[in-house]
This record gives sequence, structure tokens and C-alpha cells, in this order.
Amino acid sequence: MSSIRVNPNPMPGLLAALEELQQRQSTATQQLATGSRINRPSDDPAGAAELVQISDRNSQVDSFKRSIDSITGLLSTADSTLSSVVTVLQRAMSLGVEGANGTLSDSDRAAVAAELTGIQNQLISLANTSYQGKFIFSGTAQTQPFVLDPNSASGVRYDGNPGSNQITIGNGYQLQVNLPGSQIFSGAGGDVFQALHDLIAALQTNTNIDTAVNAVNGAFRYVTAQRVFYGNALNQAEAQQTHLDTEKLNLSQQANVVGGADMPRSCAEAGVLQRVVPLAQIPEQILLATRYRKRA
Amino acid sequence: MMSIATGALGAEQGALNATTNNVANANTPGYSRLRPVLTENDPVVVGTVTYGTGVSLAKLQSLRDPILQGRIQEETQQQGQLNAFVSAMQQAQVQFTASSSDIGTQISNFFNSLDQLSTDPTNLALRQGVLTAASNLAGAFNNTANNLSLQGSNLDLNVMQDVQQLNVLTGQIATLNLRISELEGVKQDASAFIDQRDVLIGQLSNLIDVSAIQSDNGLTLTTANGTALVVGGQNFALSTQINAAGLHDVYAQGKDITATLTSGELAGVLQVRDQKIPDVLAKLDTLAAGLATALNTAHQAGFDLNGDPGGNLFAPPPAGPGAAASMAVQITDPALIAASSDGAPGSNGNVAVLSAVHDQPVAAGQTPTDFYSNLVFAVGNDVSSGSAELDSSQLILTQLQDQRGSISGVSLDEEAANMVQYQRAFEAAARVVTTINELLATVINMGSITG
Repeated sequence: MSSIRVNPNPMPGLLAALEELQQRQSTATQQLATGSRINRPSDDPAGAAELVQISDRNSQVDSFKRSIDSITGLLSTADSTLSSVVTVLQRAMSLGVEGANGTLSDSDRAAVAAELTGIQNQLISLANTSYQGKFIFSGTAQTQPFVLDPNSASGVRYDGNPGSNQITIGNGYQLQVNLPGSQIFSGAGGDVFQALHDLIAALQTNTNIDTAVNAVNGAFRYVTAQRVFYGNALNQAEAQQTHLDTEKLNLSQQANVVGGADMPRSCAEAGVLQRVVPLAQIPEQILLATRYRKRA
Repeated sequence: MMSIATGALGAEQGALNATTNNVANANTPGYSRLRPVLTENDPVVVGTVTYGTGVSLAKLQSLRDPILQGRIQEETQQQGQLNAFVSAMQQAQVQFTASSSDIGTQISNFFNSLDQLSTDPTNLALRQGVLTAASNLAGAFNNTANNLSLQGSNLDLNVMQDVQQLNVLTGQIATLNLRISELEGVKQDASAFIDQRDVLIGQLSNLIDVSAIQSDNGLTLTTANGTALVVGGQNFALSTQINAAGLHDVYAQGKDITATLTSGELAGVLQVRDQKIPDVLAKLDTLAAGLATALNTAHQAGFDLNGDPGGNLFAPPPAGPGAAASMAVQITDPALIAASSDGAPGSNGNVAVLSAVHDQPVAAGQTPTDFYSNLVFAVGNDVSSGSAELDSSQLILTQLQDQRGSISGVSLDEEAANMVQYQRAFEAAARVVTTINELLATVINMGSITG
């Protein structure tokens, strides 16, 4: 009788197998604990590299969303301020029409002119509106944009600058967030302060009132048109916010596909191994049992 | 007849002795089992009859396979190298594991802080936020680079320890070589010493790429490229010398052999210390320098809160190595961040220029995040491919050791069976002695009066 002699001491091999099983169990347990398949770059180098990219994009999306949140207050304030400006200008127009009525006495017109001067001051105050301590219609300057200046033709001087700011709210998506006051209140299409100044002067002198009222009407239409800018910006910001929410969802799904643990599998693996590891220890007991039997 | 029986007693006793030694050493690492070699004695011819003259124990043969032993040593070297490589790289990859403070996250955080600043460019808190994020980014580079350098010096310590351990082992092997050749010179069995030497060579193989040549005047051990470690009874100690980089190179008899080591723990440690860590550090330097330079250029295009042109945001990176370790923010006053593009304080135009660096090629034609993610891949890949090789090497080694066990390992069952066999043979021989004794007594009593 002859046969191949087997290694009489299989313990090192058994130990190696046990060690591998225990390692697999520890990996499965860690995946269950973290919910992630990639807990260090070596778990899946390509996946880990992709996760770096995904996490960068994800944090960028968060940042865009925060930017939109912080800019919304400014945009709403500007929008509602311009809404007030429009209302005030409507009042100025009806006062002008009233003043153009030929039956009015000089003193009546003076009263209308006085009310219009009040409106002029109200408009200056609106044009100097600030949000969180910063003037919103001064361009990129930090000075009070509109100041009374008798030397100016309209009696009001613009101290801001023609600059405007943009913020990034998406990849390559820049949103302009302000219009300089010079463009809104004294643009080429209609100068609010000049028109009011002229109307007041016309009422005081009772000349060319109709022309002056038309000019105020022009300024009203122009400001209304400028106001659309803020409405649009708000709409765009809101739409982008929704888009970013979707993108964030996509990114987290992508991250899950790349690096998420296959929970049922990890569960099964951890569970099965829990049973297999003790099984792997059995051969040792068998060996001992045989030896004892032989001795007995 | 009596001499045949006593010879048999002696031979069986010798065989039992081998069994006893085998059982005693069943768990001794490196022990090769002994097998008694029984030979038939030369017969005596008397007339036409040929008489057998019994048995004698020729020798106790130690069962070993030198070629298999050589394969085990080779694989042990491979495993030693991979083990050292993987465990060192595993430490290195901790720096690149996604966390709240790794370089990738800090790059994202920095650009996010710029996005925030653009919503309110005169806000000092947001400006301070940018400075903090910038210094966190610099700190992440500093930490990663410093930790890698520190790991390099720890590995350097390993090199020195390995060399010391190696010298002890070669010294012991040389001593054993002497004893073995002494014993073999007088034709005696040296298997116990050979077993011990095999164990030591196994330990040596774990450290360095040793190859063994058996010649008439004993065993010669050299490294793979032929540097002598042990020649017969003499060992040649390795030494270390500090090099220009402040690390220790391995010298053999005045010659630098650092670059020639290909396997064993020493080679694995050196591979990480001299290639992998410097390589990763160089990549970090490229990224740090590229990022700092691009951001500085962007920063200088704008104007600060006072309307002055922007200066350097980061300290200009040094040419050559060290950019990552020395990265630092130059500005301390948040008002000096050049957010404005037109000189007016409320402008945020230059923030967009700074933000654009996020998508610009700053290092090796890649954007910062792309470059960093490739670095993460490279480090992770080294660990994962090294681990895979280590696993397969472990498997091969286990199989080889299994094979060695099947030749040289002691089987207690087998020894028990042998013991019974030898014991019975001994008893039978003793019985023969008794029988002969009785025969002799009969002969002696033949002529007696009482008969």
C-alpha cells in the first residue's frame, strides 16, 4: 500500500484560512457600520478617486445653494424697493395730471409742487436703500449713491459707480445681482430725478406741465422696465435652486453607486462568516479528538 | 546467532530512538523528521549454505528537500518585501483617506469660501472665512507632507534595525556552518544543525534577497546581485551610512548596495522610503506650488478693500521640493483680500477670477481636484495591488510549506505505528536471545549427571 504523504501538520494552512475569513468578516462589518464600500483608497482606488471628484462637486453645489440663499434677500429688497419707487412715481404722475388742470390756482399748483418735492425726497431715500448696512443701488461703490446737490441739473447727484457684481450659481453660470443706481434712476431712457425736478419747476412756473408729465411717465416706464431685472434674477435664482437640488440628488446617488456598500450582501457576508469562522476552528477539535482516541 | 539477535536489538533501539526524537520535535519549527535506515549485513557462506548475519542501523536519515527549501526561501523573500511595502503604504494612504481635513476637502472648502465672499464682498467675516479656509488648505498640505516625511524617517529606522538583525542572523549562520562542516568532516550526522540553519536562513530570507550556494567548503549566502553575506564559517556584516538626504544607505564591504536589493523586507522598506514617499511628496509639491502660484496670479489681478492692487495670497512657493511642507498664507488682514476687479470696495469681480482656478490646469495640466484624485488613485492602487500580490504570495508560501510538511513534517500517527512496529521487532529479538539462551542451557545440561 502506498499513497502520497499528506502534511501531518495542517495548522499553518488552517490559520491562514481562518485569518482570511476573519479579515473578510471585519471588512463586511466595517462596510455595514459606515454604509460605505470604500473606507480607504485601497478598497477601490478608481472608486476612491471618483469619490474625490463627486465630493468636490457636491460641496460646490452646496456652496452655490448657499450663495443663492444669501443673495435672495438682496434681490428681494431691491425688487420691493423698486416696486415702491413705481408706486411713488404713479402718485407723482397723477399729481402732475392734476396740476396740469387749467382751473387750478397758483397756490393750488404750489401745494401740488410741494407734495411733489416730498415725493422727490421719498424717492431719494428709496434710491439710498441699504441692505445689511450696504447701499444696494450704488454700483460696486460703498458710498451713499444719491445726494442732494443744488449744482446738479436735477438737484440730485449720483455718487456711486457704474459697476455691477455677478455671482456664480452653477458651473459657468454667472448671475448678475445688481444694477447701478445711475442706470435705474438716471439712465438714458429716463431720469427720474430730472423728470420730477422739471415737473416741480413746470408747476411752479405753470409752463410745459404736459411735457413734464410725459417725461415723468417716461421715467416711470423706464424704472418699471429696470425692475424686471430683479424679478428675473430672483426667478433665475429660484429655478437654479431647484436644479441644484436635483443635481445634489444625482450626485448622492452617483456617490452611492460608486462607494455605497451593498448592504444586503454585506449583511449576508457578515452573517455567513459569523457561522463559518467557528466552523473553520472545528478541524482543530477533530484533530485533538482523534489523538485522544488513539491514546485511549 | 547471538550476535544477530543483539545487533537486531541495537538496530531496533536506534530506530525507536529516531521515533522518540521525531515525536519530541513534532512542533519544533524547521525540524525535519528522521528515518532509520536499516540495512542487511553481509552474509557468510559456509559450504553451500549462505547464512544471513542480521541487521544494522546504517544511519538516521533526515528527510528534507533542498530544492523545496530554496523555493520556500525565495517566496519568503517575496513575502517579506510585499509585507513591508503594503504595511508602509497602508500607513501612507491614511493621509489620503477621505475625511473632513484631507487636501481634497480643503480644496473644496477654500473655493466654497470664495463663493460665499462673492455674495457680499465687503463683509469682513466672509473675508476672514476665505483666509481661514486658505490657511486650512495650507495646513492640510503641511500635515500631509510632514506626516509622509516622518513616515520616511520611521522607515529609515526600520532599515537600520533590519541591518542589525540581519548581521546577527548571518553571524549565527556562520557559526552553524562551522559546526556542520566539522561534523560532516568526520562523516557524522549534522541534520540538527542543518535544520536550525534552515530556520535562520528562513528568517534571513524575510529580510533580504538571499540565495544559497552549497559547495564543498560549506554554504555560501549572497544577495541576489552577488554580495557575499556568509561564506562558510565567515559572515560579512552589512553597515549603514547616512546619505545626502539624511537617510541611511546599506553598505556591504564599503560598497553601496541600497539600490540593488530586490526582495525581502529591506527591499520593501527601501522601495517605500526611497521611491514611493518621495514620489508622493513630489506630486504634493507640484500641486501645492501650482495652486499657490495660480491663486497668487489671480489675486494680483484684483484690488483689496482699500483700493490697492492685490499682493500674494500665499507665500510664493520655493522652487524645487518643499512647496507642500512650507505652504503658508501670506495675508493676515482680511481687508487685503483682492476681491474687487475695478478698485471699488463693493466689487466682487476678482473673486470670480480666483474661483476660476478651481477649473484651471494648475499641476501637470490638471485641475487641482483632478490632480488630487489621481494622487489618491495612485496611492490606493499601490496598496491594493501590493495586497493582492501579498495574498497570492501567502497562498504560494502556504502551499510550499504544506509540501515541505508532507516530506519533512512529523506525523504522530505514523510515529505511533512505527513505535509499535519497532517495539514488536525489539521484543522478538529479545525473545530470540531468550531462546538462544535456553538452547545454550540445554546444550550445557546435556552431559550433566542429573540428565
